[in-house]
Amino acid sequence: MKESTGALSFKDSLIVVWFSTRWFILFGFLFWLTMAVANGMVDDWGRLTNGGANLIIFIEESLWPPDWSVLEPQSYPPCVVAPGLQFTCSTAWIGLVETIKIAFVSTVFGTIISFPISLLAARNLNSIWLSYPARFILAASRSLPSLIWAIFFVILVGLGPLSGILAMTVYTVGYLGKLQYEAIEGISREPLEASLAMGHSWFERSLGVVLPESANGLISQTIFMLEYNFRHGTVIGIVGAGGIGYYINLYLKFLQYDKVIAYLMIIFVVVLLLDLLSIKARSVFTEDANISRPPWWGILLPDAMMDFLKPK
Amino acid sequence: MSDNHIIRMKDVSIGFNNNKPLMSSLNLEIYSGEIVAIAGPSGIGKTTMLKTIAGLVPPLNGIVEVCGSIIPKHPPRGSLGYIPQRLGLVRHASVYHNVMMGALAGHASRWFPYSPEVRRLTLESITLMGIEDKIRTPIRKLSGGQQRRVATARTLAQRPSVILADEFLGELDEETMNSVMFAVKNYIQQNNATLLVVEHDIGRAKTLADRLLLMDDGRLNPFITDPIVMEVKQS
Repeated sequence: MKESTGALSFKDSLIVVWFSTRWFILFGFLFWLTMAVANGMVDDWGRLTNGGANLIIFIEESLWPPDWSVLEPQSYPPCVVAPGLQFTCSTAWIGLVETIKIAFVSTVFGTIISFPISLLAARNLNSIWLSYPARFILAASRSLPSLIWAIFFVILVGLGPLSGILAMTVYTVGYLGKLQYEAIEGISREPLEASLAMGHSWFERSLGVVLPESANGLISQTIFMLEYNFRHGTVIGIVGAGGIGYYINLYLKFLQYDKVIAYLMIIFVVVLLLDLLSIKARSVFTEDANISRPPWWGILLPDAMMDFLKPK
Repeated sequence: MSDNHIIRMKDVSIGFNNNKPLMSSLNLEIYSGEIVAIAGPSGIGKTTMLKTIAGLVPPLNGIVEVCGSIIPKHPPRGSLGYIPQRLGLVRHASVYHNVMMGALAGHASRWFPYSPEVRRLTLESITLMGIEDKIRTPIRKLSGGQQRRVATARTLAQRPSVILADEFLGELDEETMNSVMFAVKNYIQQNNATLLVVEHDIGRAKTLADRLLLMDDGRLNPFITDPIVMEVKQS
């Protein structure tokens, strides 16, 4: 047996160096490339130094304190609710409820429309002759952001929540459809093969195998989409498609930034609440729903404090 | 006897690559009422052969005929029952749903499903496999052995002419294995059906099957332990 001298050849040394440092080299290259691209676009990096000072001036002079009069009832139409519920006549509440309604309706419509299309788009259920046209429809409806769809529908059907619902529905079909067909393609092959061998029809396979097998993912994605649609619903009002965005745009035009920041803070709180609800709801539909989970406030508190708060 | 074959393979090559078939020149005839077991080392192509007969993997060459239909034409709806190696159950659905899918394939029109007959056969098969206490339990919460019984119940509820099973008796304890084996054999005898089973345990395969074939060296040979018995069987 030939004895090893222990010394590596130059080529082997290069290979060893490459394998031990390749991630650093690749990351370094990526960072260099990013900076080179950014450098090509930015003419004066010195402008960054003024940004902080400008922000402080903007906050002190225009944004702070928020003007909470947005939660007071509008002068017209007259508010006829109980004194404790006067805030329900405010522009913030009306806009917020309308945005939630638009998000809800468009998510339900979008889900109903996207599911059959995503069944057609799934490659494990259909040939490319069916799946590619279905994917084309989905890609086309998500190629434009919901804001652009909103402009389009405002032109078609006029101002108001209807154009918001249509815009968000079209976008939901594209976005949710993609998530759905990816979930369908991710299901195990064996139940599909067993179903094929047994001679089930395409509908039986879709409803009896694909739907239950991917249901957890589909429900979880739909809840995510509702949350996503609410966040985007705040934007489409800017082009007149209803919701709280309409009021934000109104006060932006009059440079009343203290009112705008109040709306944004309300949206932030609602998004946070919706996010927590979404995490809770989705956890019911995930694979291991029966394992114990940390309480919702566990997200905000450190572990030591959670141990202290746990019921003994 | 050659008239009532239910599975026929003539000069068949199986595999995924024309240049490297797993098995070549396969010739096999299986008759109604027979239980045939295929044994052989891992990775030799037993599962691929089963999938080829089930119409899931196209043959590279030759003719595969199942229940009078030549693959790629699928045999009549519900005539072929298939229990894959990993069972192919819908993990997020209940025992009832999974078994009902079998009954549906065998006993309902594709436009008017969920007939009382489907329900009766589903419940009957679940009871036969002794899993009636788990009827509403999702598959993912069952043990490996219980899942195997569900897959068998699904196929029995379908009442097919041919059952293709890939190591369906694995993970079962002795008592359950005997009861499952008894139920399946009983079904085959009463309905003049056929069972083609892939089984790596030769002892178990011999207990179950009328005919045992050994897959080796790219060929399918009768498993000969007792030349006189084999001679009698081949005649």
